[in-house]
Amino acid sequence: MTDTSCTPAELQAFVLSRELKDGEMGAAGASAAIPMAAIMLARHMHAPNIQIAGEMFVNPRPRQLWDSMLDDRALGACEGAETFLELFGHSHRGLDFFFHNGMQIDRFGNINLHFIGGTIDRPRMRGPGAANISYAGTSRRFYICTHAHSPRSFVPRVDFITSPGYLDGPDSFQAAGLKGGPALCVTPLAVMDFDPDSLTMRLKSVHPWGSVEEVVAKTGFALGLPDRVPDTDLPDAETLDLLRRKVDTAGILRH
Amino acid sequence: MSSGRREKLVPPEALGDLIAAWLGDADLLALGGLFKQGRPCALVREVIRGGRRDLKLVSSPGSGFDVDVLIAADCVAETFLPAVTLETRMCPAFRGAVEAGTVRAHCVDALSVVGGLMAAAHGVPFQPVVAWKGSDVPRNNPLAAEITCPFTGEALFATRAIRPKLALLHAQEGDRYGNIRHLSTMTYADQMMARASERVIVSVDRLVSTEDIVARSRETTIPCIYVDAVVEMPYGAHPTGSFPLYSIDEAHIETYADVAEAARRARRDGGPESGRDGSGGAGYGLADYLNRVVHVPATQADYLEAIGGEEHLTALEREAASL
Repeated sequence: MTDTSCTPAELQAFVLSRELKDGEMGAAGASAAIPMAAIMLARHMHAPNIQIAGEMFVNPRPRQLWDSMLDDRALGACEGAETFLELFGHSHRGLDFFFHNGMQIDRFGNINLHFIGGTIDRPRMRGPGAANISYAGTSRRFYICTHAHSPRSFVPRVDFITSPGYLDGPDSFQAAGLKGGPALCVTPLAVMDFDPDSLTMRLKSVHPWGSVEEVVAKTGFALGLPDRVPDTDLPDAETLDLLRRKVDTAGILRH
Repeated sequence: MSSGRREKLVPPEALGDLIAAWLGDADLLALGGLFKQGRPCALVREVIRGGRRDLKLVSSPGSGFDVDVLIAADCVAETFLPAVTLETRMCPAFRGAVEAGTVRAHCVDALSVVGGLMAAAHGVPFQPVVAWKGSDVPRNNPLAAEITCPFTGEALFATRAIRPKLALLHAQEGDRYGNIRHLSTMTYADQMMARASERVIVSVDRLVSTEDIVARSRETTIPCIYVDAVVEMPYGAHPTGSFPLYSIDEAHIETYADVAEAARRARRDGGPESGRDGSGGAGYGLADYLNRVVHVPATQADYLEAIGGEEHLTALEREAASL
């Protein structure tokens, strides 16, 4: 009997994999098991010629996923390695796609990884900060992928913009000279996209284990709500099998 | 940068004096590697034993364990570090010290650090950065200033050259003249840091002959002209990984994080006086950890015994070999 029930992390990887197109170039980042799973799954499915580059390792072949995804343990088997010199250039040229997580995310998709409460010099809570803040504004698009969906993480306005989403909306986004911006926000509970006119976050689909009411209650701002919110498509048995057998062989996404 | 080709191999016993001579209190120290790989952990323990205070830290864009231990040991006043994390969890000492106001964590990103090291390595005062748009980071970044492009009139940023007083790096191989060979796939920002820093000390897992270096010269990642001292230090990156020789000791890092987190909570709840020895549920405290791992072991061999000995290290080697 085939088990078609998947975990939230597996579903997030599946949702993101379907967004990536053949021939594109992008990277997952550090601590990015779900994004790397999405890229690898896309490669096995519809996008065999995706190029992974922009974060030192060029076209890595990870034999399994790890909680940290930016080291030789995970990605050392690859076609080539760059250094931070090349990171500088990639950051300016941008990628086709990249992924971000955040301590705080607001309705315009702005991301905060620096601090919550107080000031930058004397924060109430200091976060890890971020390495690459440029891909958000130079890449063709990025995805927000989170490990939690709560009013603490989804706030009306971030305390600090580490990586820019759509700032305060269309005018500010354009005035800042940004391009691309967040395309989707994928959490363990739901998929959100952005209204093309207001550039504010709206609900796109809810995972089968959640409800619209639950998503609304766990989002700290007024989420755009279409008349009908479908369930998020689940991977079919074959796809899930591929994910587990070829990508996540160590079961990191099932923990 | 070194003057003259000479033997640069130093015995581990000489490290204390060298670091004392090349790194003063409040100086800027650069640390090689990235996150949990290729970090100069044995050299960092030497810095702690030397009692350096009020250091400023810079690294490649991602750092974690060794930086946190330096902060836990009260060696640090300021950081110029983009991301400080153990990846699966936050860095407890870093977080606690910044929240308590005892460490100032400057707001920098990858391009500030990489651009700053590039500028210093290239011998110019700053590096132009265009790709800072929309973020609050450049506005709060002490290394950044707005400039105008002299050719197009476009507004952009300059990021200031970063010239560390001393760089501590770790690689897998090197010779007695200080020619360094990383066997790892990634070389982090080590090459840039070697070129940007006033003094450079490299620990290597094993010493190789100069004939061996010459036979594979394309694989020399840092030529001797950028190195002031090299020390043979088996497992010198432990508990971070030194690929392809040994993998990351996640269990050790996790144990450290547990005691450091307990100390952070104790300090937060009990005021600044009660903090550093709080053990929470970990069974022993941060001070015990620092004693057992940093202060008591007289040699690297003693350290390796203290962290689990040969059997433990063999398992890390086996994991690296299986990748």
